[in-house]
Amino acid sequence: MITVSNLSKSYKGIQVLNIENLDIPKGQSFGLVGNNGAGKTTFFSLLLDLIQPTTGHIKNKNILVNQSEDWKPFTSSFIDESFLIGYLTPEEYFYFIGELRGQNKSDVDNLLAQFKDFFHDEILGKKKYLRDLSKGNQKKAGIVATLIGNPEVIILDEPFANLDPTTQIRLKQILKNLAEKQGVTVLISSHDLMHITEVCERIVVLEKGDIVKDLATSEATLRELEAHFTS
Amino acid sequence: MIKRFISLEWKQFFRASYFQKGLAIKILLILGALYFGGIALILGGSMFVILKKIIPDVDPIVSANNFLVYWILFELMIRYFMQQLPVMNIKPLMIIPIKRNIVIHYLLGKTIFSFFNFISLFLFLPFSVVLLVKGYPAINVLFWFLSLMCITMILNFTNFLINKSNTVFYILVPLFLTLIGLEYFNIFKVSKLFGQIFNALYNNPVFVIIPIAIMAGMYYVNFKFIRKGFYLDQTVSRKIKEVNVTDLSWINRFGSIAPFLKNDVKMIWRNARPKQVMMMSFFFLFYGLIFYTQPMYIKMPAVLAFASMFVTGGFLLSFGQLVPSWDSEYYKLLMSQNIPYKKYLESKWYLMVVAVTISFILSTPYLYFGWKIFGMIAAGALFNIGLNTFITLFGGALNRVPIELNTKAKAFSNTNGFNPTQMLIALPKLVLPMLLFYVPYKLFNFEAGLIVLALSGVLGIVFKNVFLNKIESIYQKGKYKTIAAFAEKK
Repeated sequence: MITVSNLSKSYKGIQVLNIENLDIPKGQSFGLVGNNGAGKTTFFSLLLDLIQPTTGHIKNKNILVNQSEDWKPFTSSFIDESFLIGYLTPEEYFYFIGELRGQNKSDVDNLLAQFKDFFHDEILGKKKYLRDLSKGNQKKAGIVATLIGNPEVIILDEPFANLDPTTQIRLKQILKNLAEKQGVTVLISSHDLMHITEVCERIVVLEKGDIVKDLATSEATLRELEAHFTS
Repeated sequence: MIKRFISLEWKQFFRASYFQKGLAIKILLILGALYFGGIALILGGSMFVILKKIIPDVDPIVSANNFLVYWILFELMIRYFMQQLPVMNIKPLMIIPIKRNIVIHYLLGKTIFSFFNFISLFLFLPFSVVLLVKGYPAINVLFWFLSLMCITMILNFTNFLINKSNTVFYILVPLFLTLIGLEYFNIFKVSKLFGQIFNALYNNPVFVIIPIAIMAGMYYVNFKFIRKGFYLDQTVSRKIKEVNVTDLSWINRFGSIAPFLKNDVKMIWRNARPKQVMMMSFFFLFYGLIFYTQPMYIKMPAVLAFASMFVTGGFLLSFGQLVPSWDSEYYKLLMSQNIPYKKYLESKWYLMVVAVTISFILSTPYLYFGWKIFGMIAAGALFNIGLNTFITLFGGALNRVPIELNTKAKAFSNTNGFNPTQMLIALPKLVLPMLLFYVPYKLFNFEAGLIVLALSGVLGIVFKNVFLNKIESIYQKGKYKTIAAFAEKK
């Protein structure tokens, strides 16, 4: 689904990301871990064509992301709060995203109904603007918005941060479902090794912009990751 | 402690990103401050002579006192719209051992050094000096001056309350309106009453205690007000208002640009800054009054063309010049979503066209000045719709200043969305209609000028898609730069 070749990004001569080759097949749940400054967000930003690569390119379903915009209809993402429109209510935001993705109101309503549990009665019908919601609730709204319009690729930057324990557990279930049952390619990054090993079938460790580990998740993965980050 | 606060302020000021933004803005701001300060000084110095000349048989100090109430009203209004309230980042100060009272005294004390207080000082100090030189009794003049400074402080603190407390706002505004109404409809001469009060202040130096007492009272009220709100949930976190969701589905008839239009309408309606811009653009409607009433300008049709463009172009100019910036807070979303850029731009275009049309309808009273003037406004409106919109959108592509949507812009402290590029882009917007009108006017006649100006607008509408495509490609080219600039934290 996603092919990365010779990708690098430098700021003022300092390389922050350098991935020679990376292939993410369709339907894989792909996890990215690494300390601050490892290049996780840079990679996602490149994938979304928010920044320009210094060298190389990314193909999303064989579309060069920095050449064509045809990847946008089947790709959705939530990187940070700047993906929310603060002056809209969550409902308005969902409908807006829905309209952009060719979904009518009832399509969106049907989807939202599935996430009643996930919202925990804190998002819908509250008559509040998104900017007035707590960080965690903003994140919930942002994550669910990425599911609108049956995307084939979903990119989430640190989806577990700021969420309460109940929601974290529910989110794990949702993410697993997406990849296993619906064949969606899910890319997430996290600082929580436990969560990411639970959700992702493949985990890549970034360190100062380089891929240092590429693991197929197994029983031993968590221990291996812990060992890696301890040393 | 106070010394520490001042050092914090100092760092906040010089390390703020807007301060480091560019020399040009700094120079402009300093020039602006000097300009207004200078005007106040000159006006204050020459006020005695001016008053003497306008109303020769009344003592200038009496005339000054009679006019004072208007000045006070004006000052309060200017303050309300422009004065930045003192804010201190109190959150980190709440948990460290500093007495709350000290923080509040400091906060209030800081407002004494506001630029707006100095305008009053600059205005009345020279006037008082002139009075002294002219041989007016020193004690009366000095205490009168002192009273005026106290009144300035009263205004300063009143403005604080008006801004912070809705109750005060809703009490004071009708009060002022009633007073103005009484005056205007000749029911009761409020200005006369205030004239007497101020004259009494001058004649009886003892009365200075009254303004001093009111000032002290206002300070106390402010102090209490802040003290009461000195808790996290009151001051630091914003009040959350319940949302009234309005049904905008009628916009759906605009087809593919409807989602964006709906968003834009909500954006303007629900955020402080665009609301402010909308209010301001309303005042542009009255721009014509300045020009059409002066016989001097009637003989300069090029200037009239310029003014006519302004009458309908208020919203277009002030909103349009910040086009991508309005969406700066969620620009990354727009860029990664399934959004055709052209539709986004087209929606903004429609918004401006609607605004020009509404302004044009509202400008029909200008018929009073004759068909020629109204013809100019109509031609100006067409130019605005057909050409100015595109020039403005084009200018927006070069504008990469993020805007905080829900923060009001205030003079001298918020330079958001203002830069030299903007000023350069503004030039063709202003000069082009003058040229388009003036050249055929000189070559042929008045009507030819009107026709050319109007036709230029029609041409713009005919070639709308060409223009939009061109502008779209410029926006596309600057995409990464814009994203990076908008992501910068202020």
